[in-house]
Amino acid sequence: MNSRIRRLGVVVAALYAALFVQLNLLHLVRADEYSAHPANSRAIKRDFEQPRGTIQTADGVVVARSVIVNGPFERQREYPEGELFAPVTGFFSFTFGTDGVERSYNAELTGRDIEVRIRNIADLFVDRRPTGNITLTVAKSVQQAAAQALGDRRGAVVAVNPQTGAVLALWSSPSFDPNELSQHDQSAVTAARQAMLDNPAKPLTNRAIRERYFPGSTFKIVTATAALETGTVTPTEPVYPTLSALDLPTTNRPLTNFGGSSCGGNLFRVIQVSCNTAFGQMGLDVGAEALADAAAGYGFGQVPPLDLPAVVAATFPPLEAFDRNLPAVAQSAIGQFDVQATPLQMALMAAAVVNGGSIVRPQVVAEVRDDAGEVIARLEPREWRRAMGSETADLLEQAMIGVVDGGTATVLRTPGVSVGAKTGTAELGGEGPASHAWIIAFAPADDPKVAVAVFVEGDETTGTQTGGRIAGPIAKAVIDAVLALPDPRP
Amino acid sequence: MRGRPATSRRNTELGLLVLAIVTTAGLYALAGLGHNASLPANLVPLLVFFCALLVTAHMAVRRLAPGADGVLLPIAGLLNGLGYVFIARVDEDLAGLQATWTAVGIGAFVATLVVVRRLRDLDRYRYTFAVVGVGLLLLPLLPGIGRNINGARLWVSLGPINVQPGEAAKIALAIFFASYLVEKRDLLSVATFRVGPLLLPDPKHLGPLLIAWGGSLVVMVAERDLGSSLLFFALFVVVLWVATQRAAYLGLGGAMFGAGALIAWNAFDHVSARVRIWLDPWPEAQDAGFQVVQAAFAFGWGGLAGTGPGLGQPTIIPAAETDFIFAVIGEELGLLGTTAVLAGFLLMVGTGLRIAMRADGAFEKLVAVGLTTILAVQSFIIIGGVVRLVPLTGITLPFVSYGGSSLIANYVLLALLLRISDRTTSLSGGPPRPVAAGERAR
Repeated sequence: MNSRIRRLGVVVAALYAALFVQLNLLHLVRADEYSAHPANSRAIKRDFEQPRGTIQTADGVVVARSVIVNGPFERQREYPEGELFAPVTGFFSFTFGTDGVERSYNAELTGRDIEVRIRNIADLFVDRRPTGNITLTVAKSVQQAAAQALGDRRGAVVAVNPQTGAVLALWSSPSFDPNELSQHDQSAVTAARQAMLDNPAKPLTNRAIRERYFPGSTFKIVTATAALETGTVTPTEPVYPTLSALDLPTTNRPLTNFGGSSCGGNLFRVIQVSCNTAFGQMGLDVGAEALADAAAGYGFGQVPPLDLPAVVAATFPPLEAFDRNLPAVAQSAIGQFDVQATPLQMALMAAAVVNGGSIVRPQVVAEVRDDAGEVIARLEPREWRRAMGSETADLLEQAMIGVVDGGTATVLRTPGVSVGAKTGTAELGGEGPASHAWIIAFAPADDPKVAVAVFVEGDETTGTQTGGRIAGPIAKAVIDAVLALPDPRP
Repeated sequence: MRGRPATSRRNTELGLLVLAIVTTAGLYALAGLGHNASLPANLVPLLVFFCALLVTAHMAVRRLAPGADGVLLPIAGLLNGLGYVFIARVDEDLAGLQATWTAVGIGAFVATLVVVRRLRDLDRYRYTFAVVGVGLLLLPLLPGIGRNINGARLWVSLGPINVQPGEAAKIALAIFFASYLVEKRDLLSVATFRVGPLLLPDPKHLGPLLIAWGGSLVVMVAERDLGSSLLFFALFVVVLWVATQRAAYLGLGGAMFGAGALIAWNAFDHVSARVRIWLDPWPEAQDAGFQVVQAAFAFGWGGLAGTGPGLGQPTIIPAAETDFIFAVIGEELGLLGTTAVLAGFLLMVGTGLRIAMRADGAFEKLVAVGLTTILAVQSFIIIGGVVRLVPLTGITLPFVSYGGSSLIANYVLLALLLRISDRTTSLSGGPPRPVAAGERAR
């Protein structure tokens, strides 16, 4: 029997060898794949147990930090500024994951992307995992100015530095308190989130970067860009006839001016007073293809490379939509029909005009430091795209300054500072008068520090809101707050 | 080790037991530090408790089986301790119960050594073991006391305690198979029947094989317990093969197992679900495949050296304290830890087979083969199921998993193996045994 027993031993050894091979496969070969699998909750649980870096504003206010608590997890995330920075920081929830900077900079905050610098021999024996601390480009004073100026109204404000791409304010109203989503009591978290989802004002929706709206007359900057770049229009030619309505081909519904007024003139003049009839004609003259090219130049159809998750692209209708539909070309030229943009995209549009046609990559994080205070990563300005030639940009800059000097945005006039702007009033065409109010603006024109887009959402309850009257003062408050910041440059 | 003095074997055992205790205590302390950043409050009492238990077992072996193998008890103690540490990671209360079960298990170990002075004595109770074994196996089917837990009907309620009688049945049946086959093996090994290249025994002697097969199917169908079913059938076929030395039984057994598996796969949803998840668990990662997928994550998360004791997340996997304890070890100790566990089982199996080879009587040989096969097959099918090498069949990992029935049965199994190894020494020229002398005087 012993020979059989010996053979049995060989069989068992072979079976165990197979187990060993399979273990190697699971432990080592497939490990990375498994760890990255979406059904694997170990990573988020680990992040919950571990120290996590702080997030502070450009002016040094802590907006997210981890505190030691007695709870199911050792640490709890805290947002001292409540809802003010929720559109930027996002939240850190066990049940619902993470959002905002908490998500896009998770690796830095937990220290996983930070190389441990061996400073002395003792470091070799301690599991020293430095966390990364993040400094935002957003300043609390600017963010607060935006939030206060917008008040209880639904809408969004995005302000960027046109030269560096640094985001100075990113506000969506109403906002939410990220503390409610980041607490440890998961049934309370679920209830809080449900209440936010049930709120008709949609506080969880980041209007600044994730929602598209009709841009209205602010889009006329794109139409003017197309006209200048194709040579269809020069600063002096043509002079558009003074009309109160533009007859459109193949329809008996003419294009009218705001409030039924009459307007016309050269490029500067028609931008200054936001003349629908002139821009409708300009759109028909340059054609759908040139309009689409100009929009694509500004980034329509492309997701802006902002360092926040789930940013959406602005949209311009596909060219087929204009086949045998010439009125749509005229409507698109004044920002109606199917043209839609995020407030972020509109801020980048103002930035392109004042920055010689170049759009710098927008970023909300200025730098990452390790726990010893050493800088690990810093925002370096990089061009995202060129929207137009610098001659076109200079002309549009002059035209937008004209809008502030004597057009629809005189509310932005600031002594000693050359401010440019373009207003927009996007009529919604529902029952009764209702419109979104827009303004895009920049300042100062000679050494640009801020480009801003303000969007105030309209519905049946708000009635007609014009860009200059409703959105203008908000942009003014933001520009004043940016100009009041200490100059970082020596 | 043949011919080494019994005291040397015992001293080896004591030294290895100290190593097992130190390793367990170290892991337990580290797990406490890792999880709570403090030493476990019950570290010292627990250490004293385990020391006392293992020293009791050791002293019992010293007195009752002084020439027995010196490696099996320390390995079992180490696996038991390792299991305790990781059960405590999953559920502190269960760990307390497991400590109690360990004490009962050691008690059963000592009692077995006391009661079974010569293994051959058991031969006389052949049919008692058969009836007890089959009875225990079918006990959960009795209305009133049988209970379904997690879809399998392999539990019996005795007052507040739930018992898995199948764990005891496997030992009783191993003894019965050995006893039965010692007598019938000559008859069963005569090949008279030729099918193609295979020489088969007379069909009328195939009865026992068919009964074992049928019994396994009953367990699988009625109790929905795939693991035990496979274990019993494998046990019978292996012992039959070793007893008769006829490979035809292996082939025939394998074919019958294949046929049974095929029928079950077609006829029973719970079997086909297991196979489907074995082949590809990913589409069902959130429901039916959750357990194996999470186990795979645990192994991957553990990597080479593991997260460290106390630093993993063992509570994610359902049944982490029983069937999936191996995945918890994989997460916190990594490939190094799981390989150590594999090596532990392989050492036990190797030692068991060596004991079988050195045993003198055919009955002792076959019992040793049967008991070792139980250890080998049971650990292989549960580890293989957890690492998705074979379809998952829920069964405990001997000595490691939480469970009183399993722990007690395995300590009895261990005592029987030690008893067989001791007979070997005393009959093959080892030193005279004072106890054996006393036996003769009685």
